[in-house]
Amino acid sequence: MDKHTIFYAMFIPSMLLFFLGMWFRLSLYLRGTLEGAEEATQWEKLRILLSRGWRGFWKRPDWYIRILIMDVIFHRKLFGQSLYRWLAHTLLVFGFVATFIVDMIKGFTTGYLVEWSHSVPFFSFAHAFEKGGIRPFLDFFLEFFSFLILVGCVLAMIRRFFIRPDQLRTEEEDIVTLFFILYLVLSGFLIEGYRIAHPEVVANRVYMANFTPQSANNWVSFFGYFLSLFMKGITINPHFLWYAHVIPCLVWFVYIPHSKLLHIFTSSVTVIADRAKQKPHKRDR
Amino acid sequence: MDLSKLSPKQLLEIDACTRCGECLRFCPIYSQKGEEGINPRGKIQVMKKFIRGQYGLWAKLFGPKKLSEEDVKKFSEMVYHCTLCGECGLQCPVSIDSRSLWLGLKEVLVDLGHYPKNIGLMKNNVLSRYNISGEDNDLRVEWLEAMEGLPDHKYQKERAEVVYFIGCVAAYFPMAHKIPQSFVKILDRTGVDFTLLGGAEWCCGFPLIGGGFRKETQELIRHNIEGVKAKGAHSIIFSCPSCYHTWHENYHTDLKLFDSTQFILNLIREGKIQFEEKKIRVTYHDPCDLGRASGIYEAPRTILRSMPGVEFIELANHGERCKCCGGGGLLEMVDPELSAALAREKIKEIQATGAELVITSCQQCVRTILSTARRMKIPLKISYITEFVLKHMR
Repeated sequence: MDKHTIFYAMFIPSMLLFFLGMWFRLSLYLRGTLEGAEEATQWEKLRILLSRGWRGFWKRPDWYIRILIMDVIFHRKLFGQSLYRWLAHTLLVFGFVATFIVDMIKGFTTGYLVEWSHSVPFFSFAHAFEKGGIRPFLDFFLEFFSFLILVGCVLAMIRRFFIRPDQLRTEEEDIVTLFFILYLVLSGFLIEGYRIAHPEVVANRVYMANFTPQSANNWVSFFGYFLSLFMKGITINPHFLWYAHVIPCLVWFVYIPHSKLLHIFTSSVTVIADRAKQKPHKRDR
Repeated sequence: MDLSKLSPKQLLEIDACTRCGECLRFCPIYSQKGEEGINPRGKIQVMKKFIRGQYGLWAKLFGPKKLSEEDVKKFSEMVYHCTLCGECGLQCPVSIDSRSLWLGLKEVLVDLGHYPKNIGLMKNNVLSRYNISGEDNDLRVEWLEAMEGLPDHKYQKERAEVVYFIGCVAAYFPMAHKIPQSFVKILDRTGVDFTLLGGAEWCCGFPLIGGGFRKETQELIRHNIEGVKAKGAHSIIFSCPSCYHTWHENYHTDLKLFDSTQFILNLIREGKIQFEEKKIRVTYHDPCDLGRASGIYEAPRTILRSMPGVEFIELANHGERCKCCGGGGLLEMVDPELSAALAREKIKEIQATGAELVITSCQQCVRTILSTARRMKIPLKISYITEFVLKHMR
């Protein structure tokens, strides 16, 4: 079975479990009482909240997008509180968001548009994303943004385990979360390093399609290339490496709704809700 | 545990807390007690544990975990040991509206029957006598008796444009009587068509909300709105920031609401108040309910800066960062020693400015700071802003 089929066979149930977990959390929040709709059922409350959010967004979409970028992704408030924390947090958040976006572009163009271009010539531009001039840049940005995650994670670990500010209290969940992220990023880079160090892995198409020219690896996959220098003499089952990266990635998704990582979603809501509400200080002016 | 006491947003906020501990540096209670269990992060974590035990995945599969009396009792102590100063929420990197959350948690605890005895007594006073002190509500304007040259109507007219809502503390605590006394004189001298509600003024409901009895405030709210409307008034002035905040947040009315500082500032701008020059060095303490909760920082400062001869010095922690005096959130009823410890910190901060007088706009702050200073035998002078304005008026 090729890796695509195996991947989707694991990905779809993982996503189902992820969404089930998210619904589980959401249904818990919907047990709360909504002012003005005290008798509403959970579904009614959800409908009311979604409709309020939708209407609110369309009243000033540019404002919401600005808040999402400045206050959620780039966490402006944290910048004012601690530059170190801000840097670690922003590298992690921005790294994940940017990696996700580039990966989506890559997956959509090479996975779907290229396929569709065989019947709809309009989509033939997608070939540039698969084997053309755009591909190395896509791969480079994927590498670069993943590297940002790694740096952010290391900074967060240094703060939590070495700097240890008084206000911080480390619990099991914090350790699991940080090491989980570190493992996911490092295992991804290790696969890459192994692929670069062992050209036969690409030739045998062990992993999903890879079209980066070998000669461009030193800049396109700069960190993987660096790791490959130490992996030339090492032989590991490449299939094992792939599973060792992909399965934890999918487990991570399933884990999100039940962990501290849920704050990716919840704190985004609290920040946006806070900025959207009328601030009392406006009464003073 | 009934989660319907909280809103969906509050339940989500409990999950949004990342335990970063930023709030700890600003929590006045934590700065005194230094206990993890009594700070904002600790409260959220315990609530999260309760929710998981009752509604989590494990509870879904194997049934909810019974809440032990001991755990709930401990949690109640944590939640009620809070001044509701709101500084934790202001500093929270993910902007959790903590002040509302603490009030919500108190409602949950009231539902479980776990709240301090004194809070229960206060609730009974408010619901039976319509004031926090438990005295006859007709005595609400007893402080008028000490005033000279009262008009026949004793400021309780049939109809007026403006109602002055006194609040329980200024009405019943002699230490705070100068506040309404000075304010009615200002209103009288500037020709404002105002009235008091007298015995028809009921507690605004703030102590009930602060104690976790939000539901019980409905009758008070309805009565007070009707009382003001019956006077034909279009505006209400408050010298109590907690009353002002409660009206703003919980009374859904088209009446115009003014804090005394805002109203005085308008009178100054209209040229109805003018000052004599008197040299004095003062500082200003921002009450939590007027500052962080209601966003009024500039009005009192503009008043002080407009007074000739007044040298105004800011406290080290001022504006949004102003530290609670210890009188907020019913803490005094729950733990008077802790409340006094916070007041002592405040007094030290005031003394460090070298000011001759500290001015504030909250009768509870006046009471807390002054009574602690007296106990410590510190000759600290404190004045409510209306008293200070009246003394300097031409």
